[in-house]
Amino acid sequence: MKFYLKGLKILLFFIGFMPILAYSQVKTKYTVNGTIRDKQTGEILIGANVKITKLAGLGTVSNAYGFYAISAEEGYCTLVVSFAGFVNDTINLNLAKNTELNIALVPYRSQLEEVVVSTRKKNENITKAVMGVQKLSINEIKNVPVLFGEKDVLKTIQLLPGIKSAGEGNSGFYVRGGSSDQNLILLDEATVYNASHLLGFFSTFNSDAIKDITVYKGGMPAEYGGRLSSVIDIKTNDGSNQKFGVSGGIGLISSRLNAEGPIVKDRGSFNISARRTYADLFLALSKDSSIKNNKLYFYDLNGKANYKLNDKNRLFLSIYNGRDNLGFGGSFGIDYGNTTATLRWNHIYNSRLFSNTSLIYTNYNYKIKITAANNNLLITSKIRDFNVKQDFQYYVSGTSKVNFGLDFIHHNLVPGSVTATQQSSFNNTELQTKYSVESAAYVSHEWSATEKLNLTYGLRVSMFNALGPGNFYSYDAAGNVKDTTTYKNGQVVKTYVNLQPRFATSYQLNDRQSIKLSYSRNVQNIHLLSNSTSANPTDLYVGSSNNIKPEIADQIAVGYYQNFKENAYEFSAEVYYKALQNQIDYKNGAELRANENVESQLLYGKGRAYGIELFFKKKYGKFNGWVGYTLSKTERQFDQINNGAWYNATQDRTHEISVVGIYQASKKWTVSATFVYYTGNAVTFPSGKYNINGQTVFYYTERNGYRMPNYHRLDFGATLQGKKTAKTDRSWTFSLYNAYGRENAFAINFQEDPNNANKTQAVQTTLFRWVPSVTYNFKF
Amino acid sequence: MQQSIIKYTLLIALTTLVACTKVININLNDAAPQLVIQGNITNQVGVTTVSISKTINYAQDNVFPTVSGAVVTIKDSNSGVTTPLVEVTPGNYQASTIVGTSGHTYLLNVLLNGTTYKASSTMPSPVTLDSITFQINSGFGQTLINPMPNFQDPAGISNSYQFIQTINSKITKKVFVFDDRLSDGKYIARQLFNDSAYIQPKDTIQLEMRCIDKNVFEYFKQLSGLDPTNGQPTAPTNPVSNISGGALGYFSAHTTQKKKAIVQ
Repeated sequence: MKFYLKGLKILLFFIGFMPILAYSQVKTKYTVNGTIRDKQTGEILIGANVKITKLAGLGTVSNAYGFYAISAEEGYCTLVVSFAGFVNDTINLNLAKNTELNIALVPYRSQLEEVVVSTRKKNENITKAVMGVQKLSINEIKNVPVLFGEKDVLKTIQLLPGIKSAGEGNSGFYVRGGSSDQNLILLDEATVYNASHLLGFFSTFNSDAIKDITVYKGGMPAEYGGRLSSVIDIKTNDGSNQKFGVSGGIGLISSRLNAEGPIVKDRGSFNISARRTYADLFLALSKDSSIKNNKLYFYDLNGKANYKLNDKNRLFLSIYNGRDNLGFGGSFGIDYGNTTATLRWNHIYNSRLFSNTSLIYTNYNYKIKITAANNNLLITSKIRDFNVKQDFQYYVSGTSKVNFGLDFIHHNLVPGSVTATQQSSFNNTELQTKYSVESAAYVSHEWSATEKLNLTYGLRVSMFNALGPGNFYSYDAAGNVKDTTTYKNGQVVKTYVNLQPRFATSYQLNDRQSIKLSYSRNVQNIHLLSNSTSANPTDLYVGSSNNIKPEIADQIAVGYYQNFKENAYEFSAEVYYKALQNQIDYKNGAELRANENVESQLLYGKGRAYGIELFFKKKYGKFNGWVGYTLSKTERQFDQINNGAWYNATQDRTHEISVVGIYQASKKWTVSATFVYYTGNAVTFPSGKYNINGQTVFYYTERNGYRMPNYHRLDFGATLQGKKTAKTDRSWTFSLYNAYGRENAFAINFQEDPNNANKTQAVQTTLFRWVPSVTYNFKF
Repeated sequence: MQQSIIKYTLLIALTTLVACTKVININLNDAAPQLVIQGNITNQVGVTTVSISKTINYAQDNVFPTVSGAVVTIKDSNSGVTTPLVEVTPGNYQASTIVGTSGHTYLLNVLLNGTTYKASSTMPSPVTLDSITFQINSGFGQTLINPMPNFQDPAGISNSYQFIQTINSKITKKVFVFDDRLSDGKYIARQLFNDSAYIQPKDTIQLEMRCIDKNVFEYFKQLSGLDPTNGQPTAPTNPVSNISGGALGYFSAHTTQKKKAIVQ
């Protein structure tokens, strides 16, 4: 109990700061607040701009729930509400009291909306004090060609500078030199632990269900925490509260179906999206039982409902379930997946104070079944979180807003249990379940200090408690158990408190140019242990403990931003430096599986990453797209690896270029192309060979001293729009992945030449060349 | 084992999808030649052999230079008897008088050009290999036949096993090791994972079962981790040798037993 009180004291201390930040208002001011929606569907509009014409400054932006609040002096004023793709709304008001004003914007009805690349305020990139942020709407993703024709947000963001693909066709990614487990992936606020399907070739996010995605590569606002490198904040569609609709798509690999409609017109709506791959249905057609009995599919199910109780209260429920099922004949199979649920309650206390309370559940688990003559085995593992989150947004004035809140997560990690039949070669084994509580309090102030100077600064205080029951071990240098301590249920084993300051500022040189600076510290207490190159569904998660310290990252970045030609073109250059502490690697031959003493297998070191990211984007018009270039360096240092010298991390790619072009050729055809080039990963190759028991064995001299061949690829896409009527909308999407058939290296292995035992050869594996796909999409 | 199964499933699923391979040319750096020592003592009457060779560069032919002129001895630290080994052929040092005893710790001493290399290994108690059976896995149009050694693992003690597989008298160039970490005291019948091309019906499979000590097991486990058919290691490194002084290789005092079976 003691630590809870201690934690509470720290939280209260910070909330005590609030009145200082929220300085008092001028008395003759009143506030206008409300929700901004799409008039046709009732869908909430996130990030719509609200400005009072007679007031200088930027105005305000609607939040994740479409809520806005803005203050002005009493009397007549004019409110202008804008959102790209929608007709501006101008409202004249006579302010005599705090006023509630819900706004519905009318979308443009032109073909052009299909290629709208930004739904944001046109020069938000210049004005806002946030750095390292990329926002994508589903419209931007729609026309970018991807592998197997599956629109995929996690693959599309890899085309942005600073975000590197984890491998060919892979949905995993590295951000600014971080590891792939250092990305916080949120689906309607719920953490998704394993965001990939089928060896990583697909992400768990069905793009039909997604409304909006925001990527933070650095300078994360204080409301986010828990991972070092990035935040991927994904928000799902609410569904139309005006009319029922069904849409879907039929593709070579998978099909999708989406249904939406009002629960009660104008008050609530639902949206349900489903997707399933069906490679296995083709397998079933085979007469060969060795093919027929295989399983290879995944599905995703997203559901969301929202209901407005009254003008002050609104409820949202989001549910996600997705699962993979892979089976090799009847011999072995693995199925794994995530389930998340989020219940949110928006409450408007008054015209200035907006509150959101979230109850969040996350569960990732896997099951491995092995069926052999005498060896039936079931291996299971699970990570389960209960999360309560309270966020407040206080609109101090037209130029000042304070965000503050609390976050509690209870983690339950089941590292693995083995259930075996009596005759099995294995014993039943159950590793201790690990319990922990991660709590945080944050406060952050968004402030337009002057017309040109904007600041966002804040502090996040996080506390991690590793809890009993269970045995906790300490280890000597050789990894042997030195000491065992047994803890009772709920007893605190170890507490870590970390202060995470966040700061970002922008200074506008004029309305087209700005410079920005940011600093952020992030702390991570849930660590992924994986000693294979590709994302594995059986990767193991561990919490910080008496042995494992929280990972810490400090990042500083400066940037220059410029827009050209009425904001039609935007350019940015960001330079960053990131220092990482308490990074994890593995001892030689580390045993991570079903190992009670897995913490004895780890090594701790540090990392550093720095680079420059250039981004040039054409946002509007028949032809749009972007070019990104990253020059970067990513290194790690461990005393026990590479003789203690710094070495290149696997994801250290010196140059990375991505080009995306989308052209609306006619009313019917939209064509697109992407090109990607990057320096090959750092890799360890042998520097010699020797003989052990007649086998040729390789001799290694340094970690990651070599490079994989450079990677490049061109993809094409085309969308054929059928006749669009008020009732129906049909389209065909074609794509060609790796159009010139480049044999990119997925892996390079060294082996004895099968034709000449005296020789050694290097064999390169290539995964995808010329992968065409076609999808039929419908809506009615 | 779970790991290799998963990797195998994923690998097959992957190759079934679209993968293709080709031989490429890569220029690799040269490294100064390193000393490689391999020593084995068994519990059978026979020849105890220590072989000493050197590493070569990647591009060279697989002819590994032997190292002559070393002074090699093996001491039974329980009986106190030290036996010198004689260089029979270049780089091959032998003694025919040593028969290993379970529970005894053997000390290897190699003196070469003024440098001493030392290792110790304790011979475990023998475990009887009862029989060899086969598991036939089929999936994704492929059939995979794996031999399974059948034996009783002694309860309460840590055991590690190594298997040398021959298919129709030809040694399989693959490391097969596992321990009883998750199987203590069980009757074990575990698959030795082969490539699908290796074993065909009617083949005669011989398994030599060796009970090896913990350090030797660690060495071979790490060695097998470098084999790409067992999955991609993130960062391959040289296996930790139980020989001190900076040599590669291992020194193993192990029991040995052989059995044969024909694939049905």
